[in-house]
Amino acid sequence: MEEIYTRNPVVVLREEFDDWAILYNPDNAEAVGTNPLGVDVWKRLDSQKSVGEIVAGIKQEYTNVPENAEVEILEFIQKLLQRGLIGISTTL
Amino acid sequence: MRMPRTIDVELTARCNLRCKYCYFFENPDIEYIDLPTDEWIRFFDELGSIGVMEVTLAGGEPFCRDDLKQIIDSIVKNRMRFTLLSNGGVITDDIAAYIKQTGRCNSVQVSLDGSCAEIHDTGRGHGSFTGAIRGLGILQKHDIKTSVRYTIHHLNVGDLEDAAKLLLEDLALPGFSTNAASYFGNCRKNADEIMLTHADRIKAMKTLVDLNKKYNRRISAAAGPLAEAKHFDKMQKAFDENAPAFTNGGHLTACGCYNSKLSVRCDGGITPCTMLPNITLGFINKDKIIDIWQNSPTLNELRQRNQIKLSGFEFCKGCNFVDYCTGNCPGLAYNYTREVNHPSPDACYRNFLQNTPSP
Repeated sequence: MEEIYTRNPVVVLREEFDDWAILYNPDNAEAVGTNPLGVDVWKRLDSQKSVGEIVAGIKQEYTNVPENAEVEILEFIQKLLQRGLIGISTTL
Repeated sequence: MRMPRTIDVELTARCNLRCKYCYFFENPDIEYIDLPTDEWIRFFDELGSIGVMEVTLAGGEPFCRDDLKQIIDSIVKNRMRFTLLSNGGVITDDIAAYIKQTGRCNSVQVSLDGSCAEIHDTGRGHGSFTGAIRGLGILQKHDIKTSVRYTIHHLNVGDLEDAAKLLLEDLALPGFSTNAASYFGNCRKNADEIMLTHADRIKAMKTLVDLNKKYNRRISAAAGPLAEAKHFDKMQKAFDENAPAFTNGGHLTACGCYNSKLSVRCDGGITPCTMLPNITLGFINKDKIIDIWQNSPTLNELRQRNQIKLSGFEFCKGCNFVDYCTGNCPGLAYNYTREVNHPSPDACYRNFLQNTPSP
């Protein structure tokens, strides 16, 4: 069973200088700091793609993606979920 | 930061009170007018579009605005949170219920400067204590996160123990913050009557430090006697131990607020801080906030203030504490010296020691 995630539409993405960004949920004041890869993952959480497809897309887009990228992306997604920054749209 | 995190907005020039030490009124740099609702809504649309996270609504008294619900609506619609600074006197059940249902209110801060009307009203006017207590009660009834700011001055400095009891025991607030009547606005006019004397300041420092022990650090301060007591103690210890300079010491670093936020006067003038209303960076809905934030030469010059060495000022010559000093608030520095790029004499530890009689 695989879950499909979707961005919380109320969340604000603040892309800062020096390659970092903040995802901010004004409903609960939760914020997560992240890097350009995290921003890319965030933008792919569009209620269409599975995590596997997101990881595959990242691997295609970037060179030298570390082997544990899938684990890190999953951890990042779990963090976003816990803080209300994304939700589960469907479970396949 | 690519854009400010927070914007402090002086939403209105109207107020139900005329407090003797209000920083806002009696300022020649402010045109005391109220902008129409649609001007603020346009402005909050702009803030939302660039990713500003929070807005602080002050005044004047923000609850005096009849269109406060519309203004809050536009903040919520633009995915921001908000904080309100109030004297409590005109808060109603209706507006409190409205604020609560938004789910976006960080807190409402109410000014309470005495344990009873006799003390509080000396600085804020007849009936203001009753209004503040009523406002606090309404906010608590609606389960809105509420904070209290106690401004210490010459006429209430002896009331701190009773005020702490009222706020922390009787009203069961989790904590409250303190500052002091400072040389801004109305306070400049009433300085002799209202500002802390040196003896008051020492008394307030000692009392607040003791109260904080008693109440398990539930009293906080970013400025005023409690903050000074902590900072002066840190400076003295560093000097005694010949410690290296503090990371923000030795230069005009101050609080550096203009690195994370901007302010807007009631007339729409954009300023680096509510304490620097004399510096107009532009006007809302005419100048883009993002342009000001990233490109304003005045703002960028202010941000370079932290490169100015304190040792270069005549005022700081021969001071043993320069390496542990930040020069403090540029707004206060300006009001005392007419120079923004100057240390604030008000917060000078050496001055403080020189005025303190030996034990």
